[in-house]
Amino acid sequence: MFENIKWLISPELANECEEMEIVVSSRIRVARNVDGIPFEIKMKQQDAEKLVQIVKSALEMNFKGRYLNLQNIKPLEKESLFESHLISPAIMKKEQPTALFINEKGNIAIMVNEEDHLRIQGLSCGLNLTNIASEVYLFEEALGQELGYAYNENYGFITSCPTNLGTGLRASVLFHLPGLVYTNEIDKVLKSTINLGMNVRGIYGEGSEIKGNLFQISNQHTLGFKEDELIEKINKFARTLIDLEKKARDVIISRARYELEDKIFRSRAILSSARLISSDEVLNLLSAIRLGIGIGLINDIDINTVNEIMLITRPGNIQLFYGEILEEEERDIKRAEYIRNRLISKKS
Amino acid sequence: MLCDDCKKKPASIFYKDVSGNQIKEVHLCEDCARKRGLLLDKKLSPLEILQKLLKNYTYEDEKVICPVCFLSLAEFKKFGRFGCGNCLLTFEPYIKTMIKEVQTSEKHIGKKAKPGGRRAIEVFRLKEELRRALEKEAYEEAARIRDELKTLGVENV
Repeated sequence: MFENIKWLISPELANECEEMEIVVSSRIRVARNVDGIPFEIKMKQQDAEKLVQIVKSALEMNFKGRYLNLQNIKPLEKESLFESHLISPAIMKKEQPTALFINEKGNIAIMVNEEDHLRIQGLSCGLNLTNIASEVYLFEEALGQELGYAYNENYGFITSCPTNLGTGLRASVLFHLPGLVYTNEIDKVLKSTINLGMNVRGIYGEGSEIKGNLFQISNQHTLGFKEDELIEKINKFARTLIDLEKKARDVIISRARYELEDKIFRSRAILSSARLISSDEVLNLLSAIRLGIGIGLINDIDINTVNEIMLITRPGNIQLFYGEILEEEERDIKRAEYIRNRLISKKS
Repeated sequence: MLCDDCKKKPASIFYKDVSGNQIKEVHLCEDCARKRGLLLDKKLSPLEILQKLLKNYTYEDEKVICPVCFLSLAEFKKFGRFGCGNCLLTFEPYIKTMIKEVQTSEKHIGKKAKPGGRRAIEVFRLKEELRRALEKEAYEEAARIRDELKTLGVENV
């Protein structure tokens, strides 16, 4: 059954990356539209069909990977692609033809016919924006040659929404900041993030709730900056945030060591013995485990295992993992079972 | 206790504002705290921000239509989305200020689009032609189109 969700654990994502206890993942997204084809709000069925076909052939002529027509895949698989950050809720809702390309390495995912014709996304574990951006731009350039993008000398790449004009670039980093949350400094930090022209979101992007002490931070503006500048700004801010989080952790360790240890080991105990567990509870408990690894309290579970559990235990993924449609309570049972096995069998 | 800012509604948010050596106790109602940017929830969506920034055009202005996709300025205001690559040029005089407000800039300095051969578009067009040629059993024409496709690097069609 694991075959079904091979796209979830890309070898690229399971690498050793920088600062993995504080930075869960980095992503780059570039929005592009094909010149001469109407954008989303004016797009007709035949335009969408044409778009999906020409992008397919443009990709085939240059890259290896899988091209999934999203109309042909099961709702559960769609759900799983969403939980794995490969597709957005917006593309899931569309009735017109849409597609998703995933490269062989599994770190590039291109949504076709979302709000923009192309949303070229690159994913990596840890803090790794610069490297992932250079891979994204290989795809962006090759596709540009094949398709011809809507472009204007003054305003750059033309996107469906004016908030993406110019570079069409969104660089985002998913942070795990329990230290700042427990020391009550998080609101202050997030406020300054927003004042510095960055967006703060939950784990599943725009409009999603903040869960498991996970915060996604991305650039707000896309026009008037070079791509490198936008990425560097987020990188620099990420370094600051990492320092602040480390300091907050030191504060907790020095002031509330036993409370902290208690929280971490209780979380581990629940995860290793629960018989029923919801996906949100898992996110919160995993946060404590990740923190435990970060401060050296837990050394027999690695971060990649935490990342894997976090992904597989989402409501859609857990069903795909077991290969069957499960009701909520059945999911809670299977999820608990999966985590117990995972924590027992792989202690390296 | 009433809100420090509006002095009308009861204060529900209390905090100590530290600036320099001074510590000031601040009491605010929810609305004023939001105005000061202290509350993170209930953020306006990008669309709401756009709509707020697009000033009220006259009835005549709203009838301006993009000649390529026929999106009207009124529709742009409603959806906050362009209908095609040409809308930006059509609506530029009306939305210039809004773009500057939203983006804090009005000039792209990033990567430029490289003029490409648009091979995939050409291949698509030729494949459509080939399909039509085969439908009407015009085999000579079909062979010619196949040759053209071959020069573009597409075999086995």
